[in-house]
Amino acid sequence: MSRKINTPFGVIRIERRAAYPRHIAVLTTLLAVLLAFLAVAIILVLIGIDFTAAFTLIVESFTKPELMLNSVKQAIPICLSALGLGIAFKMNFWNIGAEGQIYVGMIASTGVVLLHAYYGLFDEHVLLPLMFLTSFALGGLWCLLPAFLKAKMNVNEILTTLMLNYVAILLVDYLIHGPWRDPGGYGFPLSIKFPDYAKLLFLFGDTAYTGLLMAILGAAAAYLIMDHSKLGFEIKVVGQNLNVARYSGIDVSKVIMFGAFIAGGLAGIGGLSIVSGIIGRLRPRASPGYGYTAIIVAALAGLNPWLIVLASIFFGGLLTAGDVLQASMNIPKTVIQMMQAIIFLFILMGEVFKRYRIVFEGKSGGDMP
Amino acid sequence: MDELVGLRGIVKRFPGVVANDHVDFTLRRGEVHALLGENGAGKTTLMNILYGLYKPDEGGIYIKGKRVKLKSPRDAIELGIGMVHQNFRLIEGHTVLENIVLGARDLEFVIDSKRRGEEIRRIAENYGWKIDPEMKIWQLSAGEKQQVELLKILYRGADILILDEPTSVLTPQETRELFRALRRMASEGKGIIFITHKLNEVFEVSDRVTVMRKGRVVVTEKTTETTQEQLANYMVGRPVVFRPEIAEAVSGEEVARVIDLEALSDKGIPALRKVNLTIRSGEIVGIAGVSGNGQVELAEVMAGLRKATGGRVIIAGVDVTNKDPRKIIELGVAYIPPESIKWGIIPDMRIVDNLFLKAYRYHPYSNKLILNWRKIFEDSERLVRDFEVITPNIFNKARSLSGGNIQRLILARELSGIIGGGIPKLIVAAYPTKGLDVGATEFVHKTLLKYKKLGSGILFISEDLEEIMMLSDRIAVMLEGRITGILHRGETNIERLGLLMSKAVAEKR
Amino acid sequence: MIDWIESVLHITVQMGTLYLLASLGEIYAERSGILNLGLEGMMIMGAALSFIFTLAYGHFAAIIISIAAGILMSLVLAVMAIHMRLNQVVAGLAITMLGLGLSGFLAFPDIRKNILLSLNPALPEQALMTQEAPKLPEISIPLLSNIPIIGRAFFHHNVLVYVSYIAALVMWFILFKTRIGLSLRSVGEDPATADSLGVNVFLVRYLATVISGGFAGLAGAYLFIGFHPFWQEGMTAGKGFIALALVILSTWNPLRAVLGAYLFGGIDTVQYRLQLFGLGAQSPYFLAMLPYLITIITLILISFENLRKRIGVPKSLGIPYSREQD
Repeated sequence: MSRKINTPFGVIRIERRAAYPRHIAVLTTLLAVLLAFLAVAIILVLIGIDFTAAFTLIVESFTKPELMLNSVKQAIPICLSALGLGIAFKMNFWNIGAEGQIYVGMIASTGVVLLHAYYGLFDEHVLLPLMFLTSFALGGLWCLLPAFLKAKMNVNEILTTLMLNYVAILLVDYLIHGPWRDPGGYGFPLSIKFPDYAKLLFLFGDTAYTGLLMAILGAAAAYLIMDHSKLGFEIKVVGQNLNVARYSGIDVSKVIMFGAFIAGGLAGIGGLSIVSGIIGRLRPRASPGYGYTAIIVAALAGLNPWLIVLASIFFGGLLTAGDVLQASMNIPKTVIQMMQAIIFLFILMGEVFKRYRIVFEGKSGGDMP
Repeated sequence: MDELVGLRGIVKRFPGVVANDHVDFTLRRGEVHALLGENGAGKTTLMNILYGLYKPDEGGIYIKGKRVKLKSPRDAIELGIGMVHQNFRLIEGHTVLENIVLGARDLEFVIDSKRRGEEIRRIAENYGWKIDPEMKIWQLSAGEKQQVELLKILYRGADILILDEPTSVLTPQETRELFRALRRMASEGKGIIFITHKLNEVFEVSDRVTVMRKGRVVVTEKTTETTQEQLANYMVGRPVVFRPEIAEAVSGEEVARVIDLEALSDKGIPALRKVNLTIRSGEIVGIAGVSGNGQVELAEVMAGLRKATGGRVIIAGVDVTNKDPRKIIELGVAYIPPESIKWGIIPDMRIVDNLFLKAYRYHPYSNKLILNWRKIFEDSERLVRDFEVITPNIFNKARSLSGGNIQRLILARELSGIIGGGIPKLIVAAYPTKGLDVGATEFVHKTLLKYKKLGSGILFISEDLEEIMMLSDRIAVMLEGRITGILHRGETNIERLGLLMSKAVAEKR
Repeated sequence: MIDWIESVLHITVQMGTLYLLASLGEIYAERSGILNLGLEGMMIMGAALSFIFTLAYGHFAAIIISIAAGILMSLVLAVMAIHMRLNQVVAGLAITMLGLGLSGFLAFPDIRKNILLSLNPALPEQALMTQEAPKLPEISIPLLSNIPIIGRAFFHHNVLVYVSYIAALVMWFILFKTRIGLSLRSVGEDPATADSLGVNVFLVRYLATVISGGFAGLAGAYLFIGFHPFWQEGMTAGKGFIALALVILSTWNPLRAVLGAYLFGGIDTVQYRLQLFGLGAQSPYFLAMLPYLITIITLILISFENLRKRIGVPKSLGIPYSREQD
């Protein structure tokens, strides 16, 4: 497949590549990030902001240890959700619902804590494991519903997962304004504070380290599932070609539902990491869109679990940088959101260079008028 | 004589083949002209040239006496040429009227549905069609859809009509209706080219017939001055020498039996109508027939990939009608799908992955959860060697393989017996040599014969009669979803097969 | 009581207009085969820009700029979806994220001040710091607005509401009764067939996408100067996605979108009313879920093949078109 374009300078041919060379993928990704920085720099200059100072601050949030710890913290929910998305996207299941799965994960873990605090259920030692289990399960179920609808009735999962995000967010709003509101909280829409044994502090007594461990374990799990398990193999086949999957005897709907459950479950644990890691209690709008950021991270990392860990820390760092920028230079932190979106756009456009090769053929007399 | 179309000395070459070799063809006003030939004879290429889809390498096109150059179908349409393709080009969700006027060049901004609906209805009534212009396409039967296709052309005022195998989707009733309409169009002075491979239709509807074979026109005659037997001879050519170089069939135990099998095609029309067939171990049963007569559907139902709407499939003594493909695989059924590049492999996965697309889930290649890649890699190397898949590396993407090597890969996966240990009990091979070069074709033949000797029962679907006659112990001919005859080795020749394939024996029963 | 009904209806129409404007354009995009998930981002940009430009130059300029911004953003989407043939979902999401970030950035007090000063140096200090802008004036239609109960509800509004009435009618007519509409629907159903009949698939898709962007920008402008002229970061709060849902509920029909818009608007209104009266402290959240749940149920219903055909779901929605078969 090739297409020729005549230009005054000669003929440009666009060819489809037979294979995607790895170095092209790496280059386009780096270029996307670089271009995004450039674009943001231009915007800042146009607005009249000293962008060198701003960029120094951004770099600092990756070099200063205490900022770095905060970056890692913010990276946990992003990373866990993105790991799940990596699995879902490989399956060609367009889960836009990580945000909602995060929220139900928060509901599950908070619910367990409240049962413990209000009714004295569960032993202190089993509390955290139980929270992991329930948030995984609820997050998984939240993703299983659209997967079921897709597998059995061919209902488009993009829209259902997206719609369920808002349902989950509103569910949290309801709980926190209603039955789950801290009775001693002066009417603020907040849950009670989690006790320490319900928090992610089991490594060096710090959420960042604990979270990093969780992220690495999560990546290892995702890697094992995708590259070494039967399910992972089936997921890849289903994602590539449904007909061939059926032909090879794979139970397609079962695979879609299993894969989606795991994907949603990982995002659910991402939700747990917010309430019992970053915040330490439940409040409305507790996730500033980590589930959406996770989509960018998964794309940036090319769905590779290990790269997802790195990319989430990078994005966690950007979020930290946003806070710093707003606090010390009065530059709104939405600038970071903007930068993330631009990175995303450039990565997507870079896909074209991975798929096609542009060959410059120079002047060719025959084709020219 | 009033000549509408004159094709003179048309030559069209494609890489490796001459699809049209100095073809002369004329269409006169007021005639139905049948264009007869097997698939691949060059009929469709010739018509695509007339419709402006291909440019001829040599020769001239004359429309109503004037030499023309056709750059695209638009030019052809401008000159009053219309074509009804085998696959309908209708927008399912739109009304009849919308489909018809979409191509109209003088369409007003606000569509005058009332006037245009009246016009359409008038044309339809003229040919005895009852079509409501406000109906949606999906509400129509196949026959009515075809009427809409014709209306699209007639509405533009075309007087040169090309119909590419128009009866393949029609019931006998609808076919008769179509023929009546075509006769009427001819009587109004239009010219109709009717592409077909069915002999009886030629006699039912046409005034003249042109027979093509291997890119050349064999003969053009008045239909009344020829016979079915003569045309069949023209169509398939001289009888070929039968090469009896295969071992005698072992009449082993029965490995598969289909009983009164019925199924629908993708379009939802009956594709199999009470098919009965048995396959024994150590036997190759060839299915001959022009493609699109139910062969693929038969293979798919047997592999569990298409639902049977009636009848039963029994494999190795087990009733597997509408069972999971997986269950059928586990009974020892190998399936080589048609268009294997599209249906048989995943181009963007590695060669190893494609080799183990089915076996990955069985011991020793995996336990309950985890894949044993080491074992898989080891055996992949062996398979690639045994089946002569030429590749530098088993970790390359399957898309890097040539067509012949892809087919070798599929054979390796399906036949190596890595599922359950033994050799496959039944091999369903649908067009396994289509599009392959000589070497790869030979490899496929050799491999199938080898497995026959080992005791597999083989269902071998092909369009190539020579190939079928060379390999098969028995040959079943399929036409319009029925098996119209089963011939044993030695009692057949290519003319007889050709006749069985073309004649509507089914209708006479 | 009648006053109460009247005012609920009035707000319902106000609220519904927001959804209606956004979904009208989206219907065109989806009918041509393009899913514009950037709607939310285009809306919020419209809102932010109409905030800034109303302060600087007034309402008219604000509306024009908002539409232009929507068009510009939709062009980016069009290039990505139509020419680069990228996944429309992801591309649209990226545009939404960009809109949310950029709008928050531009409307941030300090940044906004700089922009306002460079747009119109003569602005008074107070205009530089405010979070508010003047609302579009409401116009009563003579006679019609005197009809009891529904008169005020439907005919005492700002100009953009009337624009939405006319737009719904005109866009329905164009879509189903004219040559352009037929081409548009054909492209979304079966681009290959449309192409073979001489319809320029790419051009039609570009136009449809741009229309959806323009309307999304307009909806954003309406949200701010027509409905709630007080800037809040991310003030669209998912309303763009509700509009997307409305497109499905309306089964891609501009007239049915009117009904759906007022249904969703009504749900919003009732929800606020209940909160106002302190009735059912929890119920507003469940009411707010309704549009999403209704959409999911609609999605399930249209998954049935028969219903799908009857309704006419654009068959090639989300599928890039290319003449080459690869």
